[in-house]
Amino acid sequence: MDWKIAELKELEDKIWRCTACGTCKTAYDYGPPPTFGEICPAGTEFGFEGFMASKGKIAFARGILSGELPWDEELVEAIYKCTVCAGCQNQCQLDHKPYIPEIIEAMRRKAVAEGAGPMPLHKNLLQSMKNYNNPYQGPRRVRTDWTRPFKKAGKPIKDLNKEPAPVLFFVGCTGAFNTAARAVPTATASIFQKLGMDFGVLGENEICCGSTAMRVGDSEEFKRVATKNLETFKWLHDERGVKTIISSCAGCYRAIKKDYSLSSEYDEVMSGIEVIHTADYLNRLFKEGKLKFKGELPWKVTYHDPCHTGRHLNKFIIDHEGKQLWKGAYVDVDQSECLYEQPRDLLKAIPGIEFVEMKRNRANSFCCGGGGGVMTGFGDWAAKNASLRIQEGEETGAERIVSICPFCHFNLNEGAKNISSQVKVHDLTELIDQVLVGINDD
Amino acid sequence: MSELSSLRQEQVTGIASAGKVDSVLRELRKIVGDSNCTASKHIRYAYSYDLSFVKPKMPDYVVMAEKVEQIQELLRFANREKIPVVPYTAGTNIGGLTIPERGGILLDLKKMNRIVDIDSESHVAVIEPGVSHAKLADALYKHRLRFGWPVGPPSASVLACAVSHGIGGLNAKYGLNSQEITSMEVVLPTGELVRVGSCAIRHDAWHSCLPLPQLDGLFKGWLGTSGVVTKIGISVHPIPPVLKVFTVSCDNVEDMYSYMHNLSNYEMCDDLTAVSWWLAQVPIPYPFKPKPDNAPEWFSFATTTSWTEKERDARVEIWEKVFEEEQKKGTSVKQTVYPEEALKGRTQLPSQVVGSTKNYCKQGGAGISWPGTFTPAKVWAPVYNKWKEILIAHNLSPSVRMSMYRGVHYGMLRAMIPFNKQSDQETENARHAIVECLKVDLDAGGIPYKPPIDFANEINQRADPGYLDLLRRMKKFLDPNDIMNPGKLGI
Repeated sequence: MDWKIAELKELEDKIWRCTACGTCKTAYDYGPPPTFGEICPAGTEFGFEGFMASKGKIAFARGILSGELPWDEELVEAIYKCTVCAGCQNQCQLDHKPYIPEIIEAMRRKAVAEGAGPMPLHKNLLQSMKNYNNPYQGPRRVRTDWTRPFKKAGKPIKDLNKEPAPVLFFVGCTGAFNTAARAVPTATASIFQKLGMDFGVLGENEICCGSTAMRVGDSEEFKRVATKNLETFKWLHDERGVKTIISSCAGCYRAIKKDYSLSSEYDEVMSGIEVIHTADYLNRLFKEGKLKFKGELPWKVTYHDPCHTGRHLNKFIIDHEGKQLWKGAYVDVDQSECLYEQPRDLLKAIPGIEFVEMKRNRANSFCCGGGGGVMTGFGDWAAKNASLRIQEGEETGAERIVSICPFCHFNLNEGAKNISSQVKVHDLTELIDQVLVGINDD
Repeated sequence: MSELSSLRQEQVTGIASAGKVDSVLRELRKIVGDSNCTASKHIRYAYSYDLSFVKPKMPDYVVMAEKVEQIQELLRFANREKIPVVPYTAGTNIGGLTIPERGGILLDLKKMNRIVDIDSESHVAVIEPGVSHAKLADALYKHRLRFGWPVGPPSASVLACAVSHGIGGLNAKYGLNSQEITSMEVVLPTGELVRVGSCAIRHDAWHSCLPLPQLDGLFKGWLGTSGVVTKIGISVHPIPPVLKVFTVSCDNVEDMYSYMHNLSNYEMCDDLTAVSWWLAQVPIPYPFKPKPDNAPEWFSFATTTSWTEKERDARVEIWEKVFEEEQKKGTSVKQTVYPEEALKGRTQLPSQVVGSTKNYCKQGGAGISWPGTFTPAKVWAPVYNKWKEILIAHNLSPSVRMSMYRGVHYGMLRAMIPFNKQSDQETENARHAIVECLKVDLDAGGIPYKPPIDFANEINQRADPGYLDLLRRMKKFLDPNDIMNPGKLGI
């Protein structure tokens, strides 16, 4: 299987389309009313221009390419002090806009290829992937620990290795191994059972989607697990009748949907398989009138957009041939695949919930701070950044912050703990599970 | 690299890896804390260039100040040690103004980003250097107030633009953004904290520089060479709800000037601007390409705001009168529809689209510079025609803008020139053309604003000796060791 993953040198033309104007540094919308917000977690924390948004990262990229910035410990650390949240990308208007996260990750790939990267803690993570096929150093058998209560309750979850089902619930490593995030797969499976869905999991045979490896620049490790997963998906489709892959993890969803498309065989392998995030899937059922709620959750709630289900799913319209504007021109952005409204619509539909928005939302959402390998590489900073997001939630008067990403879920919880916030963090599935009317309910 | 720069570079490299730092860095750490200063090469590198043709140069240290007291202490130290200090906010100018000529300390002020006060009754705001146009626009709108937002990035500094005589979208009505400054707080190069304007008399009165002697002039247009401005008061204005934009085209610059001059007499516009065909293109053609024969050479938009429909109608009546007069003169003026997106870019400021240089640099390889000038309006036409010859001879587009300032006697005349920064030859070609254009403008009575050193040298060659002597004496008085952004004034 061939993969088209760009090296930094291949992106040089894009890198030189940045004028260093700095529009990327702040979230801004004319409105009216005009809205402003800090958008770059690294810029907010570290301040120096090199850390600030894409303007700073492009400076590093230029210096690395020209040889003016040889690798040293501080430079390597600096290129990893970025959550690759794409907040800066959302502000940029120039031709390199579609490639900004790619440029940042290409720097990391170069660092890894040349033995300078990744960060020491990332190395542990990557070694764990090699040893255990997950970044949490979790033995295979632990991957199914979260399913035990279902078995105990006489509602075992189908094992797709043994039986067919049209839906694969791709659990993801964070939900499976990170005990603080296990509520996510548990609630998801509970919802699916209440809805009477015929679904299954890969259980101990599920392996990491590879998102983390890709984010920290180890494309070889990413390719290894992604290739295996694509082969598994094809087998599941051909042998087990899987037509839909559902994920409650923003990272897995982004990886399968976007990173895997860099494979030469993606279209062929994924033919007949739809990849969908749980929030999108449930919202679809809701719109079809197939979700009913009972009781109420009398909470004031706000929603945090994960980067991986939001702006990372932007599709950029690029004039590759120069037929419309000029060669390589960035023309426009298509946000139709970003999951902005689906989770909000569901939240607003839950009886009793008073929904409020944080100032920075949707495409200008402020990253929780956990992405791009930051939670592993710089855990304290990740949590500190999450505290800022929690405070923003508090400012709305909300008692609960809801999201659709186990990574955000974990990190926001850490942020809340750091500042002893009373705000509680939930995954959307947890709320829906509480009020969903099952098919067997009266 | 400067002598100091290379010396310190040697010290920093090698010693830093052994866990030690040089004495300067040690002192800087005492002043602003470890996390707010660095000598790391990759950090310094990110401050070494901007959009312009000015050659990249690195500072030796980068410092972020959070408090006025830190700036005072820093400048006392730098003055004692004779280390250059370059004040920096967002680095978005296109004249290399924050590229250090002699190394030293780059003082990044972005963390000082408080909007200290918005007095919605007196229409005065007090801000620190790190306040961006985006942040101030957000805050002012809550009071239904506005400022003269420039066509720069929303992230650019309001204060830096104003003290550098930047322009804004209200310049036909209120003049330059520097004319909106009502008071200032400044740290002198020797570390003393001073105030000028009403805040010097009462600490919380920021409403006016007048009628006191205008000491604010010691810090406006000096390009950060006379001190570090740590707060300014600015006039802010209510937002009239009715927008009306008049758009025309002309076949030549003379006709466009005639129209603008006539309309400007009525002083009814927020902004009265014209752009050449090349500047109206997205992006500006690079290298030069000829204008289609059937396309007008100039387009103008005159932005007006009114409180009532009736007031708007009165403006329409005046504009129609002007338009008819110009037609009767036999000029080529025609009503035209300005493309919606372009109009948004001109009227919905601050603008990410315009501010990100989207119009300018797409084909240019990331470089953009200008001859940006304040030029008597009556010589716009001959200067433009000469610029056109020079720029086309250099295979560059004559992408020129003319804007009336308050009244009619002078305005902004500038050409935004994209070029390929990856090529030294193309960069030098752009620099050469731009400096040639500037000479023409200077000889016609224009004066460049936010000038790179190449321009400063040209100004000084033409300057009255008494002016230069006074400038030197003032500089020496304020900055005896020439530590503040040295070299930028070309003296």
